[in-house]
Amino acid sequence: MNAPEAQRITLKFDALTPAPGAMEVPVGVMLPRTYWQTVGVRLARDPYTAACAFILLAIAGAAVLAPWLGLPDPAATNAAQRLLPVGSSGHLLGTDELGRDMLSRLIHGGRLSLTMGVLPVAVALAIGGTLGLVAGFIGGRTNMLVMRLTDVLYAFPSILLAVAIAGSLGAGVGNALLAITIVFIPPITRVTESVTTQVRAMDFVEAARASGAGAFRIIRTHILGNVMGPVFVYATVLVSVSILISAGLSFIGLGASPPTAEWGLMLNTLRESIFLAPLNAVLPGFMIFITSMCFNLISDGLRSAMDVRL
Amino acid sequence: MKPNRLQSTLAGIGIAAALAASLAWGQSRPLRVGMTLSDIPTTSGQPNGGFEGYRMTGYTLYDALINWKLDNAKAPSTLVPALATSWKVDAKDTTKWLFTLRKGVKFHDGSEFNADAVVWNLDKLFKKDAPHHDARQRAQVAGRILSLKAWRKVDDYTIEFTTHAPDSTFPYQTTYVFYSSPAQYEKLGRDWNKFSQQPSGTGPFRLEKMTPRERAELVRNSSYWDAKRVPKSQRVVLLPIPEPTTRASALLSGQVDFIEAPPPDFIPRLKSQGFQITSNVYPHIWPYFMSFREDSPWRDLRVRKAVNLAIDREGLVKLLGGFAAPAAGAVDKSSPWFGKPTFIIKHDPAAARKLLAEAGYSDSKPLTLKVMVSPSGSGQMLPRPMNEYIQQNLKAVGINLELVTQDWEVLRNCRRAGAGSPICQGVHGINNSSATVDPFSAFGRIYSSKAIPPKGFNYMYYSDPKVDAMVEKSNNIFDEKKRDQLLGELHAYLVDQAVDVWVVHDVGPRAMSKQVRGWVQARHWFQDLAPVYVAD
Amino acid sequence: MLYYILRRVLYTIPIAIGVSLIVFTLVHLAPGDPLSAVMGEVDQKMLAEMRASFGYDKPLPLQYLIWLGSALTGDMGYSLRTGAPVFGTLIDAAANTMVLGVAASFVGFLVGASAGMFAGYHHGTWVDKAVSAAAIAGVSIPHYWLAIILVIVFSVQLGWLPSMGAGAGASVLSWDAWKHMLLPAIALAAIPCAIVARTARACVMEILSMEFVEALRARGLSERRILLHVSRNALPTVLAVIGLQFAHLLGGSILVEVVFSWPGTGYLLNLAIFDRDIPVLQGTILLLALFFVLTNLVVDILQTFADPRISRA
Repeated sequence: MNAPEAQRITLKFDALTPAPGAMEVPVGVMLPRTYWQTVGVRLARDPYTAACAFILLAIAGAAVLAPWLGLPDPAATNAAQRLLPVGSSGHLLGTDELGRDMLSRLIHGGRLSLTMGVLPVAVALAIGGTLGLVAGFIGGRTNMLVMRLTDVLYAFPSILLAVAIAGSLGAGVGNALLAITIVFIPPITRVTESVTTQVRAMDFVEAARASGAGAFRIIRTHILGNVMGPVFVYATVLVSVSILISAGLSFIGLGASPPTAEWGLMLNTLRESIFLAPLNAVLPGFMIFITSMCFNLISDGLRSAMDVRL
Repeated sequence: MKPNRLQSTLAGIGIAAALAASLAWGQSRPLRVGMTLSDIPTTSGQPNGGFEGYRMTGYTLYDALINWKLDNAKAPSTLVPALATSWKVDAKDTTKWLFTLRKGVKFHDGSEFNADAVVWNLDKLFKKDAPHHDARQRAQVAGRILSLKAWRKVDDYTIEFTTHAPDSTFPYQTTYVFYSSPAQYEKLGRDWNKFSQQPSGTGPFRLEKMTPRERAELVRNSSYWDAKRVPKSQRVVLLPIPEPTTRASALLSGQVDFIEAPPPDFIPRLKSQGFQITSNVYPHIWPYFMSFREDSPWRDLRVRKAVNLAIDREGLVKLLGGFAAPAAGAVDKSSPWFGKPTFIIKHDPAAARKLLAEAGYSDSKPLTLKVMVSPSGSGQMLPRPMNEYIQQNLKAVGINLELVTQDWEVLRNCRRAGAGSPICQGVHGINNSSATVDPFSAFGRIYSSKAIPPKGFNYMYYSDPKVDAMVEKSNNIFDEKKRDQLLGELHAYLVDQAVDVWVVHDVGPRAMSKQVRGWVQARHWFQDLAPVYVAD
Repeated sequence: MLYYILRRVLYTIPIAIGVSLIVFTLVHLAPGDPLSAVMGEVDQKMLAEMRASFGYDKPLPLQYLIWLGSALTGDMGYSLRTGAPVFGTLIDAAANTMVLGVAASFVGFLVGASAGMFAGYHHGTWVDKAVSAAAIAGVSIPHYWLAIILVIVFSVQLGWLPSMGAGAGASVLSWDAWKHMLLPAIALAAIPCAIVARTARACVMEILSMEFVEALRARGLSERRILLHVSRNALPTVLAVIGLQFAHLLGGSILVEVVFSWPGTGYLLNLAIFDRDIPVLQGTILLLALFFVLTNLVVDILQTFADPRISRA
């Protein structure tokens, strides 16, 4: 449940480097199409990634469409119908300790749980990515400054930093989101910086520089395309970590607060009923497990398809 | 001479008898208790952690001048002489009380308990310039003995107390003050932190070892002054296990012998495996205390009634596996103080909606109430699901209930600081269970305007001259029957005013292994661990 | 190489200062007055006195310097809640977490390395696939959930192992202590196990593809000897990974410690957060972060010895 090590990132440039002779290609063509075609073909041949993508799309789709799926109100309690077992009529996945429909809560819970998984990584990607790109491209003192600052944040284990920030700011979804975002900025900055530095040193960038192209233009046309792939792969791993950490924060009472449906919180509250309704109690944890695993597998699939070594 | 057959037989019998005796005393096995608190309650004299603290490190290590009689499950607990053998009010000046102290009582360190020790302890709590004054201990007890104005040693075994005004409930208030040893304090270099590691009181148990957040080990005080209450168990281990599932799992896996408040969903399982479950009514109320300060919506009687009518208490009891009783006021209907209120508290969402509409609230302009709740705590029952359930009840009549979850101690501090204090983080009310053990705890300290913080527990800033007058009048009645009647009128008035949201009364479920013996669940917040032991 | 190590050590100093600054700032971001929330003392004069005695009346930068200065000398103040010295409390808790971390790392290393190497060696077989699947599951499973399931199965249903706490404080070597440690250690070991397995597998595969292995085979070495060679070559990387995982475990054990009420730093941190016990909160985070920094340093240095090429990085 830690951000995977970001120090030893290397790229296999044989995949990314344009074919010999590509140097003469006019500025503006960033990658040979064949590379992305190759990636596409590889992905299509990878059943695990496809299956995971399908599962995630199903969960996310259901979560987004939850209010229009005709599900029971996820907050409607009913003391007479509490802890109905999985498979009860009218409650396909049973009910929770307050008689609320489990299926509805799991689907609605996906909204917050997935948001808490994806949003912090997206924001961290925007911030950390920019920082890393700038640091890597400009190099020198700027690089020093940015990287040393991230080193300080990087000196905390992910969960500790998340708990420390969320705990200091106080319980709540907003604070938890902020905490996890801060946790992910340093590793993303590092990865981006490392890739950018490597790409910057490559011949075609040097060539573009020599031809007098502006910094912004070089970043946009040459660097970004080469950097985005590996960084994106890395970010998908972070989503799986983010899902685990955010659910963990809710689990100990630092994230979502009742009666919000959120998997980590549901996992915590259903613990007390584990003997009366074991299956119901296990379900939220299973959802966390499955989504986290799917993001991991997709990341693996992307990585081998794109031939990125992280 | 070789021992003959008879001798060896006799010796054998002797050993067997000794063994049997030690078994009867239950010496071999400690009693391990799983508490709901997240830490060991403070041990220096006045425990924190609410009445569970009183139960665990108060009445075990210490005594009050007057204790509660806790050996009867059938009737409400009454007062019983402890460090004081008798007490009486001055017939001419009813603000003066004379307490005669018990002779021959020794602290655990061997020093004598006497009038000097009483004065020293009261100075410790209430004399802020005393060198041994302890703000922490004071904070725990200050709101519980509001009437006390002055104390004076008359002779070595007599103390005179003066109250601010005549108060017939004063003896009850003395049950919350414990007496720590001045000699031990001196010996440890006048340091309350050290004292809490090696405390010395007069109680049936001594503290042998304490690891904060983990465990406290109490051992039998064989020379306890009350021979009947010398503990049956050689050792009692207190373990803080705030998480209900963890607590119940610890019992199921044999790590503890006794737990407080098993989660209701575990009870069928516990029963089927032969664990004992006990419960009993006791003077407890699980309410929302709401703010009556300037801008609070609670000042509107219609709102107050509406919220009370919106709650489905029967459903809540079902949720708790039957381990609760619906409340119709601050005290139970069986109490002599219930009276005859005209406002009947029941589940009537339609009436609630109507009252809210009259008060100017609607679905487009809903009423929002923010209430501070705790994840666990003494007498808090199962705060999270209960509050969520109520949240839904209120939603059904168009009220938004926002729950602000804070640690139990923070919630208690908010209660002591009063509505509107920054500690309370802008909430309209608090969900803090309350004891209605005696007239003072039930009414005076909560509803009298004289008990507005920082003095007492009137968190709400509730101020009603009628109530003040009735409280004062009842304090002046030293005849119990007459006082009960007046308190009934007072309670009926409070219910008619719908001052609080009264939800349920707890029945204090406890679970223990088959081998636990001697447990009597008194009708009280405090319980006696002295007679409890684990049989082999 | 010596130069590199020296630089690496010196570089730890500004990092540590930065860490302490972050810890201090974080805790002071907290809304509300720390003292009044914990003490509940409503007497303003007394509150002011207490604030002075805790140094909370001074400007923040000064507070930081005072705090850092005393923390360096082992004085981290007193818990607002219990009045006990924070340093002593922390040391006790850290010892418990350390024991747990060592146990979990040990399990993680043993299981992860052997499974990973085996899978790498038998690349492409069903064993390899099973190990890879288990490794993916290991990093994806919410370990607090795993902890709950372990308690239900092994403590409650089977009654084999205790479900909470660290035992009666007997020696670490006693069976009682081991019993208490087992379940939390297994729950914590899931992640390191998976990561070590993945590393070991990748490492072994990479080494196997190297030329010297072919050379060994050509020399007619038995497959067992070759495996031995390969694992010896993979070991430094795997050890480095487990070292870093150990550091992560110490800081990341909070959720598992909460489930098991394990009296370590994570549990302490959890209680301190909800108690708003500022001195304990600051002390715990600082200690854990500094420990993380130090472990990283040690692993880095050890790795330099194992593989001098790294110092170029």
